[in-house]
Amino acid sequence: MLALLFIIFAGMAIGCAVAVVAQRNPLYSAISLIGVFISLACLYVMLAAPFIAAVQVIVYAGAIMVLVVFVIMLLNVEEEERRRPRLKFLVPVAIGLAAVLVAETSFIMYSVRFSPFTPTENVSNTGLTSQIGTGLFTTYLLPFEITSVLLLMAIVGAMTLTRRSASLSPTARIVPGTQILAMDILTPGSSENLTAVETDTTTEAALLLGVKPRQAPEEDEEI
Amino acid sequence: MPQLWWYLALSAVLFTIGVVGVIIKRNVIAMFMCIELMLNAVNLTFVAFSSFFQDINGQLFVFIVMTVAAAEAAVGLGIIITIFRNRESLDVDDASILKL
Repeated sequence: MLALLFIIFAGMAIGCAVAVVAQRNPLYSAISLIGVFISLACLYVMLAAPFIAAVQVIVYAGAIMVLVVFVIMLLNVEEEERRRPRLKFLVPVAIGLAAVLVAETSFIMYSVRFSPFTPTENVSNTGLTSQIGTGLFTTYLLPFEITSVLLLMAIVGAMTLTRRSASLSPTARIVPGTQILAMDILTPGSSENLTAVETDTTTEAALLLGVKPRQAPEEDEEI
Repeated sequence: MPQLWWYLALSAVLFTIGVVGVIIKRNVIAMFMCIELMLNAVNLTFVAFSSFFQDINGQLFVFIVMTVAAAEAAVGLGIIITIFRNRESLDVDDASILKL
């Protein structure tokens, strides 16, 4: 019975993983990836790890994939076009490296299967939430705290990266009155586009540049 | 009753599919999702070992890997948005000089 369940969920996982790679539309890839996550969560339940299964569904299939799908829809990605295969001479090298990888993997399987350390057959009570909490707050307290710092760094990094006026100098000011801004200041990538952008008010210019408008009049060349 | 090596084999297959995806895909978001797939394959190995040898440490590692994956998703998608804003494209070949 368990073997049948394993085969069902493993087949689902592999099928969805192949679909992730095979789909040309990133949105379909994302949906298939959610399928992989769900079937892996089912496998975690079979492995007597209910907490990890719940976190898998909440964090991976919930939070991370919502973020990915949101970005896909925000950027309005079209299907990628098919390209001519380049670097044909590398195909034999790739086959050789894949053979090495398969040999290594099968060696690990072999060692695991015939190792003297056989798994115990008792009913497992590892994976309970209380045990995970005890481990996190005693043995792994320092990694746990470092993880929180890492998450804080990720928040700050994501905000810094996606800020629109990242290339603007910190001394830039908005002068009250009508503004004429070079296109190059607003979008640093468009260096060939030299069209000036005219704004009617100071607040509109501040909105475009992403800086707070100052009340005191300043020199124009600081912008 | 599923054996330990069944789970290891499934994990190896999933990891290989992820590697192949990272290599053959040209879309940055698709490559990103294949990296997530590889992280999940490793997580499966951790949980399988943890469950079969009755050692909770493997599942704690999975917890930390998931946190790192969440941080990676936030920063990675921020980088993707910045690349798209500057290059109007998500193709990795258009962003090959590592300069915005």
